[in-house]
Amino acid sequence: MPTPVAEAPNVTDDGLYLDGIPHDRFAEMRRTPGLMWHPYRDGGFWAVARHAEVKEVSRTPEVFSSAVGHTNLWDLEADALEARRGLIDTDAPDHTRIRRLVASGFTPKNIKAWTDTVGELTDELLDDAEAAGTVDWVDALAAPLPIRVILALLGVPVEDADHLVELSNFLVEGTSEQQSLPPDAFGNTTELRLLPFNSPASHALFEYGEALAARKRAEPADDIVTTLVRAEADGERLTGSEFRNLFHLLVFAGNETTRTALTHGAMALADHPEQWQRVLDGDVTLEQATEEVLRWATPVLHMRRTTTTATELAGTRIGAGEKVVVWYASANRDETAFDDPFTFDVGRTDNPHFAFGGGGPHFCLGAFLARLEIQVVLGAMRDRGLRLRRTGEPVRVPSNFVHGVLSVDMELAR
Amino acid sequence: MSEDVVRMQVNPETCIAGGQCELLAPDVFEIDDDEVIAVVQGDGRLDRKVALEVIDRCPSGAISIVEPDEAAGGG
Repeated sequence: MPTPVAEAPNVTDDGLYLDGIPHDRFAEMRRTPGLMWHPYRDGGFWAVARHAEVKEVSRTPEVFSSAVGHTNLWDLEADALEARRGLIDTDAPDHTRIRRLVASGFTPKNIKAWTDTVGELTDELLDDAEAAGTVDWVDALAAPLPIRVILALLGVPVEDADHLVELSNFLVEGTSEQQSLPPDAFGNTTELRLLPFNSPASHALFEYGEALAARKRAEPADDIVTTLVRAEADGERLTGSEFRNLFHLLVFAGNETTRTALTHGAMALADHPEQWQRVLDGDVTLEQATEEVLRWATPVLHMRRTTTTATELAGTRIGAGEKVVVWYASANRDETAFDDPFTFDVGRTDNPHFAFGGGGPHFCLGAFLARLEIQVVLGAMRDRGLRLRRTGEPVRVPSNFVHGVLSVDMELAR
Repeated sequence: MSEDVVRMQVNPETCIAGGQCELLAPDVFEIDDDEVIAVVQGDGRLDRKVALEVIDRCPSGAISIVEPDEAAGGG
């Protein structure tokens, strides 16, 4: 650590997040000039809390690497890092190669083609939820919709959806320090440190992905897994490990993050009925409301980078090989980037949120899919004239990494 | 009518097909599904204010202005 620096308030204790994001602590970081140093385990990291610097770090990947160390707070041993390496923890040129292989499935036009499918699934789920009257929103809509959509894109049979939802739930748990699964769950024999989220559920997801790949090789279809098993980019296929990790990422990220956005969005709309009224009245577009839901939800709270060289950020000198953590949760409430950032305002016209990351090459691959799903759900609720009322408190995931909600009861009425 | 119109270009080497440009200026940008990069439509003319926003929001920094076009607008 160079020059004396202020120590950041603790924002890594998972238990804090049972009460929601510790916004007062992030506000203190944003107010403090320069960067604050956050102790963590036997080391620490530079905490980047302001919008401008989250953007700068995200868009300077040559200096702030994703491939060195790990993109989570803790370091991984070299063999574990290699075993887990995928789209998230690579830099160019590996990152570019993998991303280009998979990106065609997620372009705005290709995603738009899924509008009707998403609409039909949404209607089905909303019909059931309305009939029940009061539901656990996560269970009734926010969890099943994104997983069914991503599985359809990937080419996974619908009857396997419940199993993959279950696996994904275990992965979320693995982002905190509490795990309920024994290490040998799902027949796992791999050391946990070699698996994403240190979870035996990752082993199960890897196995499922490989079986699916074998099926697609035998019976190709118009889906993303078929594209991946056939793909040649710059003459190179994905390695087996790259495929496993990419499949794992697509299932997890395509599911967990949108679930979180749909849940926080529903909670916000229930808590701010006057904002929902603006949507019902057509005073704001579904696109505007969706961007605000994304900003409000911030499904992924942070990512870590590691410096490849000594550098300076916000006037603070950073040595080579040091950890830098960008907090999207804080940037999305930065007073200098948003008017009244703590106001949920579906009519914002300027909303440069970092729900999809701070930009740069790792910008969320599934951004348009997430937007489509949120827009379709809001649109379907608007067209039905549905109103949400919260009938219970949310049960949150104790994690400093994902802004997850396990359950929240809602009443749906017209 | 704006007098301040600029012409846009995309660097295909750095574009990651994030699609923010198409979202903000669909008349000028489109993600090509085969190449999986953004391509400029037509003459690529865009109001400077929108252009600066597109440049700012592009995640990979692949978009830039070719040249200011003084002739546009005329008024």
